[in-house]
Amino acid sequence: MRMNFSRSIFLLTLASGLLAMPGCKPDPVEPDPPPTPPVSTTGTLRIQVQPTWDGAPFALNTVYHNVSNYRVKVEMLKFYLGNMRLIAGTDTVLVKDVALFDAANGPLMVQGSVEQGTWTGFIAGLGVPMALNDADPIVYSPGHPLSLSNGTYWSWATAYRFVMFDGRFDTDPAGTLAPAQLMSIHTGLNAMYREFELPLANGLTITAGNTTTLTLEMAVDAFFYSPTDTIDLAVDNQSHGDNAPLATMLTNNVVHSLSVQ
Amino acid sequence: MKHSVHNAVVVFFGAALLVGCRRDPALIEARIDALFVLDLPPGAPLVSVPADAPMTQAAVELGKALFFDPRLSRNGTISCASCHFPDHAFSDTMAFSRGIEGQLGMRNAPTLANVAYHPYFFRDGGVPDLERQVIAPILDPVEMDHDLMLAAAAVNTDPAYRALSQLVYGRAIDPFVLTRAIATYERTLISGWSRYDRFVYRGELGALTAQEQNGMALFNSEELNCTGCHNGFDLSDHSLQNIGQYLEYADPGRERITVDPADNGKFKVPTLRNIALTAPYMHDGAMSSLSQVIDHFASGGLAHPNRSAEMSSFAITAEEKADLIAFLNSLTDEQSIDQVR
Repeated sequence: MRMNFSRSIFLLTLASGLLAMPGCKPDPVEPDPPPTPPVSTTGTLRIQVQPTWDGAPFALNTVYHNVSNYRVKVEMLKFYLGNMRLIAGTDTVLVKDVALFDAANGPLMVQGSVEQGTWTGFIAGLGVPMALNDADPIVYSPGHPLSLSNGTYWSWATAYRFVMFDGRFDTDPAGTLAPAQLMSIHTGLNAMYREFELPLANGLTITAGNTTTLTLEMAVDAFFYSPTDTIDLAVDNQSHGDNAPLATMLTNNVVHSLSVQ
Repeated sequence: MKHSVHNAVVVFFGAALLVGCRRDPALIEARIDALFVLDLPPGAPLVSVPADAPMTQAAVELGKALFFDPRLSRNGTISCASCHFPDHAFSDTMAFSRGIEGQLGMRNAPTLANVAYHPYFFRDGGVPDLERQVIAPILDPVEMDHDLMLAAAAVNTDPAYRALSQLVYGRAIDPFVLTRAIATYERTLISGWSRYDRFVYRGELGALTAQEQNGMALFNSEELNCTGCHNGFDLSDHSLQNIGQYLEYADPGRERITVDPADNGKFKVPTLRNIALTAPYMHDGAMSSLSQVIDHFASGGLAHPNRSAEMSSFAITAEEKADLIAFLNSLTDEQSIDQVR
């Protein structure tokens, strides 16, 4: 027992000696430098869609004259943009996978994080990209652009409506009563998804930590015409998945109505 | 040490006895959260079940309760069963079903028998799975005209539903639970209990009369070519076909989904099981009797550009027609296809 005690004392002394040795080292230990916070190289891109009619701001429930000189009152305008991205040469950056724009909800805006730099083009699709369009909508909570609570889902086709354009019209340009004839043109289905590209003539520069706004003008008056198609509401004014020609015309016209402001 | 073991055993058994006497609701529920034992008739393929929709006893019971619950409609008057009558193999007796406030649907409500085996749903095949099929009638303005969140909230007030939902899905009733539970119940509606099944799959040669056997021979004949589309266990290959019912279809059928004119007038081939119970026939319920249906197929159909290559005219005598109808009548299940009793 005594031997064990002596041995313990010896070991304790030896350990203390070993511990003390580094303390005699002349060179002080350099403390690790504090971690450098990562330098952010991204900024925020805000995409704003500005609906207009004949170049002036557009408002729902206002009577306008369209290309056929009919009085038209738009009561609902909802549409999806999908796979929104910026390009510069061969570089591409995704800004947002999908967004729902509803003219009844004030400014049409969406934003996403983008790598800093100068971008020369904007690409998006009118509609919901196929992978999202074909997915089960039940997983999305209210508030998500793909939530069923938005009232944009065609359950019979398990697909989203891409554009919902509803209102009333009157073929008499001098009519004094409120337009009464219904128009309701809804597009959808994967075949109607249209990708488009808008050049950013002067380049769009994103700087780290800052928000840059890209404003797209949507000429609602042009929903009724394009270089190739004119929608005559007196002839055709309803499409709910059962009138592909009209849905196709509206789709093409809406794409043509978009420009960079 | 021995004492410790002894004490632990005593404590364990004491606790077990206490638990047994408590009538803990969780334990009661746990006893019914077993896998649902699906009674498959001879010849029936196995049923595939999605991972997020387990076919448990509680899931099926909840699904059945929801299937018959009119609170899923906006004004609390229409349930799934309002258009899918159990006595008619879960089909409707009207050409177009009446939905909320008496509004008419756009197509004939089909039987739900054997939907577990369907690769897609609705007459045009536009819905890829049973879960998403459930969404459509609830949202449809002429059927139940409700919002899924509101529909779920309406039934979530029921404590029994809530308990079952927690048990199966670990959550209150929401749109996810609605779709999974109802689809799970529908998946159990297996048809395969007819005299035809006894004859074919059980080898009971006396199960069909001589007339019915003659009808079956006609059905299987190359000349009538019924089996060109009506084949397999479900007596349907579930393909989409234009049968030349019209030269111009008011309902575009599959074209509505694909926006392809080549699909105009194409509809999903229906099962022939329980055909005697599911009149009227065709996508629009335009034919009220099997005799009319046979006449149509015997004519070869109208010369629509998309008419199926399987369609060709044939001659059939009155006696043969009676035999064929007798055979079709033998396809009626001899027991309810609802296994939740």
